[in-house]
Amino acid sequence: MNVQHSVRHKLLAVVLASTLAAVLVAIAAMVAYDLRLYHQSWLNDLATQAELVGRTSAPALTFDDARAAQENLALLRYRPEIRAAAIYDARGRRFASFSADGTEAFPRFPEADGTHVEAGELVAFKRIASEREILGTVYLRARYELYDRLLGYLGIAAIVITVAMLVAYALSRWLREMVIRPLVAITSVATEVSEKRNFGLRAERLTSDEIGLLADSFNTMLAEIERATRELEASNREAAREVGERRRAEEEIRRLNAELETRVKARTTELQSTNAELEAFCYSVSHDLRAPLRSIDGFSQALLEDFPKDVSDEARRYLARIRTSTQRMGQLIEDLLNLSKVSRGELARRDVDVGEIARQVVAEIQGREPERKVEVSVWDGMQANADPRLLRAAFENLIGNAWKFSAKAEQARVEVGSLRDGDEVTFFVRDNGAGFDMRYASKLFGAFQRLHSANEYQGTGIGLATVQRIVHRHGGRIWADAKPGKGAVFFFTLAGKSEAAPAAKEVAA
Amino acid sequence: MVAMRAAVIPCLLLALALPLAAAAQDNRAAEVQIKAAFLYKFGEFVQWPPAAFARADAPFAIGVMGAEDVAAALEQVVADRTVQGRPVVVRRVRRGEALGGLHVLFIGHGDSARLAETLAAAKGQPLLTVTESDNAISHGSVINFVAEDQKVRFDIALPSAERGQLKISSRLLAVARKVVSS
Repeated sequence: MNVQHSVRHKLLAVVLASTLAAVLVAIAAMVAYDLRLYHQSWLNDLATQAELVGRTSAPALTFDDARAAQENLALLRYRPEIRAAAIYDARGRRFASFSADGTEAFPRFPEADGTHVEAGELVAFKRIASEREILGTVYLRARYELYDRLLGYLGIAAIVITVAMLVAYALSRWLREMVIRPLVAITSVATEVSEKRNFGLRAERLTSDEIGLLADSFNTMLAEIERATRELEASNREAAREVGERRRAEEEIRRLNAELETRVKARTTELQSTNAELEAFCYSVSHDLRAPLRSIDGFSQALLEDFPKDVSDEARRYLARIRTSTQRMGQLIEDLLNLSKVSRGELARRDVDVGEIARQVVAEIQGREPERKVEVSVWDGMQANADPRLLRAAFENLIGNAWKFSAKAEQARVEVGSLRDGDEVTFFVRDNGAGFDMRYASKLFGAFQRLHSANEYQGTGIGLATVQRIVHRHGGRIWADAKPGKGAVFFFTLAGKSEAAPAAKEVAA
Repeated sequence: MVAMRAAVIPCLLLALALPLAAAAQDNRAAEVQIKAAFLYKFGEFVQWPPAAFARADAPFAIGVMGAEDVAAALEQVVADRTVQGRPVVVRRVRRGEALGGLHVLFIGHGDSARLAETLAAAKGQPLLTVTESDNAISHGSVINFVAEDQKVRFDIALPSAERGQLKISSRLLAVARKVVSS
């Protein structure tokens, strides 16, 4: 409500102030004009009167007739605003005089021609001349009512201003009805809208002027806000619904995950126990199979050694084949045991010198076949975080394979090195031996899978399966690249903390 | 002794009379000055018929009869002055002399015996006659000087002026002591 009062007061102030200003300016202009006019005309009037008196009194001065001059001056009593008059002769002596109030206050000597204001009275001097001869001077003193007039005007101005203000006040009341009421209607609607947040309200259009337009715009705005609010609420509801759905979906996923985890855990436990059982079985079978094999081999050997004369050449050959077979079987069992050993037991990872292990393995293999000339190159400074026993087993197989399959090469060459790709270090074992067709690469790491016949190259077909298991236990990967007759490369990584690859010696293709 | 006394009294009278005579002489001198000035100034307040001037540039002539002191004073007053735009000349006029060409004629005390005669001669002419004798108005003078309160005043006779076709300004009439009409 203060706002309305404020606008109302402002309007009133504007109306009153402009009225006051206009009236004041008009009165000031009028008064200034009138006073100036009064001043000028009264000045001229008095000068003319002095001239007239001078003309009339010229003969009296000429013929030294003071009485006639006195009579002339006495006529001035018909002009009451003239308070005193005098005529001086050519020598400056007072010749005749007149005073309306009987006082004898006249200048001692005449002054130069002119009219001026002196002590609130208008004073005029006028020379009387005839035929180039100065006869005397007229002196006139008159009331000068400029200040009385000004006071009178101020009184009138006060009355005019009062009346104008009353009229302006009445006008402003009428204006308030015209202007404020429609504004108040809009304001009250606006207040209600902002207090109750009811955008369905509408302002009443009372006039067809700018305020009416304002009401229309206000209503349009309200409608727009109402629509926008409704849309916003709808979209809010939609968003809330979507959020709920998403939360439900997430809960479902979490529940499924949890279920899956439990199931995986159960399965893993199941599998682990099965695996353990299988390995135990495998181990015991291998172990148990070794005893009869040893008996067969041992007794075959005993037959050959203890009864050299009783065994025919034919029988000797058979016995030799029996022994070869049993030895192969023994090897097979040995490998199977190795495979199961690789799978069992804890992984004891520590930082190891990969090159050192590889060199030991090479030395061992070289020791078994001292007659072979193989050019072996093991890089320096290769480090890895791995189980040294298992890593050694992996190298035994990989280097052993490289050694074995490069037997027919003219100048056998085996290289052990490493490559670094970002954080991952890849070790490789390369030979220039028989190689293989990459079409069979997928079969390489299966147990008992052989790409070459046993006659060509000896082996049980378990070695690469063992290597793969070792690599997998370390969390790494193993793959190969080869061409028939051009050699093969086996790559593997050992996940976890791998030490940097050495500053690479160049890697031959 | 008586003779002595008789001789003393006139001496005393003479002693008393001498300053009086001197005062009278001073008064006469001031009076002559004023009258000379008035004679000249009357010209401004009187209108002559056009026939009174022989030529367009004819001078304004003032005649003086029987008053040498006034004539002398007048000559001083009018020097370098004009009346109605004309130069002013002063003429001493003797008894019986023709009055033609004059515009103002002053007849002094001294010739009062011939006053009537001269005024009669001037009658009907456009001539402003000025006198200083008590009964001059009745003899046909237009303006007659009189003394009043030790001041020089004058009376004006309008019928005489009208006879001479002279028009006297009301402003002059206003300062006259007495105006005689008809």
